[in-house]
Amino acid sequence: MTATDFTLNELLVANLARDLRDGELGFTGLATGSAAALYATAIPLVAMELARRLHAPNLTVLLAGWVHNPDLAALDELPDAEFDERLRDLPCESQLLTYPGQFSLRRGNISFGFGSGVQIDRVGNINSVCIGDHAKPKVRLVGPILLPEHFSMFGREYVMMPRHDSRTIVEKVDYVAGVGYPGGLEGRKALGLAWGGPELVITPKCFFDFDKAAGRMTVRSIHPGVDIDDLRASTGFDLGDLAAVPVTPAPTSRELSIIRAEIDPRGILIGNGPRAG
Amino acid sequence: MSIPANAAAGARRLEKVQSLADAAGLVADGCRIAIGGFAIYQRPMAFVRELVRQRRKGLTVVGVTNSIDTDMLIGAGAVRRVETSYVGFEKYGLARNFRRACERDGLDVVDYPELLSWDRFRASQENLAFWPAPGLGGTDVVRLNADIRPFTCPASGRPLHALPAAAPDVVVLHALASDVYGNVIFPPYRNLPQNLDLTLARCCDRLIVTVERIVSENFLRRHSHLVEIPSVRVSAVCVAPFGAHPTSMLGRYEDDQAHWQAYVDASQTDEGFRRYLDDYVLGLDSHAAYLDKVGGSRLASLFQVDTQK
Repeated sequence: MTATDFTLNELLVANLARDLRDGELGFTGLATGSAAALYATAIPLVAMELARRLHAPNLTVLLAGWVHNPDLAALDELPDAEFDERLRDLPCESQLLTYPGQFSLRRGNISFGFGSGVQIDRVGNINSVCIGDHAKPKVRLVGPILLPEHFSMFGREYVMMPRHDSRTIVEKVDYVAGVGYPGGLEGRKALGLAWGGPELVITPKCFFDFDKAAGRMTVRSIHPGVDIDDLRASTGFDLGDLAAVPVTPAPTSRELSIIRAEIDPRGILIGNGPRAG
Repeated sequence: MSIPANAAAGARRLEKVQSLADAAGLVADGCRIAIGGFAIYQRPMAFVRELVRQRRKGLTVVGVTNSIDTDMLIGAGAVRRVETSYVGFEKYGLARNFRRACERDGLDVVDYPELLSWDRFRASQENLAFWPAPGLGGTDVVRLNADIRPFTCPASGRPLHALPAAAPDVVVLHALASDVYGNVIFPPYRNLPQNLDLTLARCCDRLIVTVERIVSENFLRRHSHLVEIPSVRVSAVCVAPFGAHPTSMLGRYEDDQAHWQAYVDASQTDEGFRRYLDDYVLGLDSHAAYLDKVGGSRLASLFQVDTQK
């Protein structure tokens, strides 16, 4: 049964969870700052946990890149430090404490990951390094971190963008930290990228997916209540014909009850978000 | 078999404990330095402050993920170039001296991916000039870095890139304890930052370790299973209790959140940061004076409950 009263966070979680498959290994880093932490860490964690409880009991969750299958119920808050006693002492199944460790990115052990940046562009390239010319940037950001690996070594990448505006969803990124589909799948192959790449881009307004053959981001679904003119104005490139694009499917009441009653009963992870629609 | 000439004289084993001021002399202007720790965790900050005090210039910081260690050196005018995957303060936000130096002065930043940054040290550990990397095609990491060269894997024909080894001239770490000879003890439970420190320690022949305390030779020999860096690998040991402050020392003390915030606030402007340096680094003549300035009650509040496995 489809629910009618749910939050935007719950909408994103339910739709992401449906995309995750049994037996996979899902990687999430530990983002900090409230919006980034929600999109890049909390929503992915709840989505993976929801998939585990519904259709993917053998999915392995990697929190902060090193904690395997953490007991989310034992959290008092979303951790804001990658290496402190809260994560160290969080009950889990295995801890990656050194590199190389329990899994190998280069063997393709990570099925999918969640990442974020300051810009993503039409071909799916992502940027976390700078705005403007790299040699003397207008704004210098943190650096590529693990994004090159996310976009080339993971089986697929879910790009979590907490802000959807024409400065973040752009025609062309100022720095390519992770590679999408320039020249399409053939173009990726020619660059030596054997697998992987962005799968979906998740924003507060819509889900994007990719026409991978053509190397182009397209709108997969528009969240309930989002105005199409606003969506166009908030995006840095032409979205084309949106007439046939569906509304993002609502969570089912079963999905909602598992999220609310079992995974995040205290609202520590995705609680208090705005209502969808 | 001849008897060594100095045997009769009773040659004494070299003790490696030095003052921070003397050990900082092992870091030459213009050298490549790798600074232990990871992101905002367990950085050898007492040593970094000593480098600032000695007005070191022209350093290349080569790292994996960097934060206040590099930001402070940049703000003090000690850095010419940075090679890493990240300079930022995680929950404390962006690194302001780093940002200003990039945006205003065009600081030379060579961006590397995170795991490959670690692999560059693994290359040095194995005395290799490069590390082979798949998956970099199409990135600006490659486009903007003439030291990364494409090649074809001779065995598989796969396209790869050769990344230059990290090749630090000097490595400095902060660790738990050592004896006077430089046998360095690590805690039995080590997380990624401490294990990265071990990779750093094994990739360079000039290694400086600052430690929370010096232990006796007998204590050390009873705990030799914890010695991950033996004396033979160590150039100098410096005693620096709370030597990672204001960063955390995993399993021992937390990061000093109030001090971090003061640093972040001060470094919003050049003037503010100069005042910070005057107050906490340049205006003090030693690490002991720094600890007194931070204050005993503050430091005492940072100790963690020891639940280490």
